[in-house]
Amino acid sequence: MSALKLHTALTAIWRNDPGWRGHFRSVNHSDLGKRFILASFVFFAIGGVLAMLIRAQLATPRSAFVGPEVYNQIFTMHGSIMMFLFAIPMLEGLAIYLLPKILGSRDLVYPRLTALGWWCYLFGGTVIILAMLAGVAPDAGWFLYPPLSGRAYTPGINSDVWLLGITFVEISAMCAAIEITVTILKFRAPGMRLDRMPIFAWYMLATAGMMVFGFPPLILGSILLEVERAFGWPFYAPELGGSPLLWQHLFWLFGHPEVYIIFLPAAGAVSTILPVMARTRLLGYGAIVAAIMALAFLSFGLWVHHMFTTGIPHMALGFFSAASALVAVPTAVQVFAWLGTLWQGRPQMRLPMLYLIGFFIVFVIGGLTGVMLAMVPFDAQAHDTAFVTAHLHYVLVGGFVFPMLAAAYYWLPHITGRERVMRIGEAAFWLIFIGFNLTFFMMHLTGLLGMPRRIDTYPEGMGWTWLNLLSSVGGFLQAFGFALVVIDVALQVWLGRNHRRNPWGATTLEWAMPIPSPDYNFASLPSVDSRDPLGDDPDLGVKLARGDGYLADASRNQRETIAVDMTSGKPEHVAILPGNSWWPIVTAAIIGGFFLSMLAGLYVIAPIFIVGTAWAGWRWAWTNGTRGDVGPLPIGDGTTLPTSFEVARTTGWWGSVFAIAASATLFAALLFGYAFLWTVAPNWPPPRLIAPSLLPPLIAVAGGAVAFVGSRSGRAPLMLGGQIAIVAALLLLLMGAPDPKSHAYAATSAALASYAIFHAALAALIAAFVMARARAGYHSASRINEGRIARLWSDHGAGAGAFVAILLVLPGWLA
Amino acid sequence: MIVLLRLTAGLIGWAAAFCLIYALHGLGCAGGWDARPFAGGSLHRWVLIAGWAVSLAATTAIALVLMRYRATPLDRAAAALGWVGVAATAITFVPILVIPACA
Repeated sequence: MSALKLHTALTAIWRNDPGWRGHFRSVNHSDLGKRFILASFVFFAIGGVLAMLIRAQLATPRSAFVGPEVYNQIFTMHGSIMMFLFAIPMLEGLAIYLLPKILGSRDLVYPRLTALGWWCYLFGGTVIILAMLAGVAPDAGWFLYPPLSGRAYTPGINSDVWLLGITFVEISAMCAAIEITVTILKFRAPGMRLDRMPIFAWYMLATAGMMVFGFPPLILGSILLEVERAFGWPFYAPELGGSPLLWQHLFWLFGHPEVYIIFLPAAGAVSTILPVMARTRLLGYGAIVAAIMALAFLSFGLWVHHMFTTGIPHMALGFFSAASALVAVPTAVQVFAWLGTLWQGRPQMRLPMLYLIGFFIVFVIGGLTGVMLAMVPFDAQAHDTAFVTAHLHYVLVGGFVFPMLAAAYYWLPHITGRERVMRIGEAAFWLIFIGFNLTFFMMHLTGLLGMPRRIDTYPEGMGWTWLNLLSSVGGFLQAFGFALVVIDVALQVWLGRNHRRNPWGATTLEWAMPIPSPDYNFASLPSVDSRDPLGDDPDLGVKLARGDGYLADASRNQRETIAVDMTSGKPEHVAILPGNSWWPIVTAAIIGGFFLSMLAGLYVIAPIFIVGTAWAGWRWAWTNGTRGDVGPLPIGDGTTLPTSFEVARTTGWWGSVFAIAASATLFAALLFGYAFLWTVAPNWPPPRLIAPSLLPPLIAVAGGAVAFVGSRSGRAPLMLGGQIAIVAALLLLLMGAPDPKSHAYAATSAALASYAIFHAALAALIAAFVMARARAGYHSASRINEGRIARLWSDHGAGAGAFVAILLVLPGWLA
Repeated sequence: MIVLLRLTAGLIGWAAAFCLIYALHGLGCAGGWDARPFAGGSLHRWVLIAGWAVSLAATTAIALVLMRYRATPLDRAAAALGWVGVAATAITFVPILVIPACA
């Protein structure tokens, strides 16, 4: 087949539907990645406008620009938008767009899940912005501490908007985390061993892993706070055995790793772009991989440094202080590797390089003030002052925005296929760099002079006036800089001349394709035997376009790419990917219905949407699979591979493993909350314990055993029966339990039971699905992957159900 | 997958040590172990020292096992990270020796 015919055939297979339908049914990773990036930039602009309002308010003492009620909404929305609607979706968008290309694949592992994540993000973000326009935006700070965010002090829906809107958006983050993890592990070019992966993939693997384990505590905390607000279960109310500190623990268990979740992808962009700008190879690949892993773990041991002034015993503060200082070491390893790379190369001062230099300066300052704040005595002085605001902006803008601007200019030719028109970008850089430092360096000083964070006004004579005015001037300089960036990009998109392929002389695979990239990325898939495939063979892109690689056959008329062994990169099977679909947007709309009904207080209607989501999930999953055995397919080079329908451990199996890991993390966080309240919260022990009856735990354990036997023997009816028994046992237990409104003990017990009931019910649903699929002919001796996936969920449901049933009666037995 | 597990084993050891010692610290403060004298110190501090010692032994054992695998760059990175786990465990819990437990 000629290169042109191959291109035409592959385009027909991979393209979007024509017309307006294409916008709603697209599952293409390039499209969805670009949508994420564009939408997150729009949210960034909204957050930026709010920042300008903050600076207008604080420019002079006793400002009457806005009142405290509006100001509270402005700074809460600024922080929430920048964290949840800009930074995380932006990194997701970059990964969604770039990963398949840089790994040598045609798409991500779950294209429809990517689309679901996109619609959840768009709908959730839109709800939050609409709430702001309606004047009911969250106003309790971006970390929404109770009791301020509780029903007593925020009686309106402001906090509900945050809790429900952000949790809706977090569905997108969890989808992306699992998607990115499995894509990096399974969808690489044949021959791309783990130690040959582009360094960006290592950064994203660590980031996605951190998201899998970092987001569940926040999701749990948000669910608990919303349930407290909606139904009066007192998780955070100390008068009934709750504790506001539990929220802080759960929030910062997510919140500190979040800083590194944002930083690591940006550092991945730095490690990718810097060697290209310096015309050399990255120095210390192995040391950087080790540093990434160290950061990914150590960053989970720091969360209490946000709580140094809450009265936690000093020894515990010492643990977190030491870990906080320790985390600077792997960061420094990377900085020295980057400096060494520059030293060994011949750096060119092109626009991405300017932003990288800005990143170095700003981020290192932010890191150093971070070490200052990691010291308990200093933090006690600077806590809740503008110094902390300055520090976090140096870290987040230095560690994310500057590298992302470098990344934008580096990869824009890939997206647009065009050159820049004028040198506006350089002027924009200097405005942003000078404006940023003017704004936030001054805030270190106002903070040290005692200016608190989040105040809407201040009196004259405090010594803050001129510093604040300079900060505001700097803020507006930045705004002009970002406006110039928008103009620069718009000019490139509309007026730029067509760019040649691989304009930077890069060595990674995303440049081994025409720009802008075709829907299918590669006409044939590369075989990789080094970390710099395009550096070793500059003609690789042309060879792949003419079909010299794997899967250069479009005759089967289906979306195919190669899945590999995780470690060795040896080809393992041909993954057959689903095409365009309505299901992602339909499912997101139904999930949105649940969140909106909760927001409106229509608690009777909300369960209908849960049933609707289960229905949509069933119908969606039914569209996958095949009713006949396919057998091995030729992939070229005389090699044949089985399809994804006929292997035991598909990408779906791995996705379930990571989804269960995330769910187990949420469960662990709930157990932590249970133990925390027992040991630390006031007004314990509770007035009444769950009766120590034997029957419910016995039924749950027996049900778990039946489900386990069913999962081992592959008998779905046993799995179904066992899970139903677990649900019944836990409901029986709850019927005899104290009212969840009466005490935090009863509330956390009910929350634990709800977790177990949900997972047993989910496992039962999956078992029923597998039974129906077997009857419909989707299973055979070689098509066993759905049964394997059901087994994972059944084992999880059985284990959680039996464990919770025993745990809940244990205090009664011991009393 | 085993390569990734090796790569993270030392740090998983540190994370497990962190959970163990933070939990022992919380339990001890809630249970009043700090007020119970034991072997010239308090019961609480000795429990924490024991937890720290066990953690150091466990992370050192992990690092020594990882040292056996040196064939690939990732194996060597895993061995280095094993020792990072030991160092992090040693440094993070120094406050056990010098700071009052529940004040």
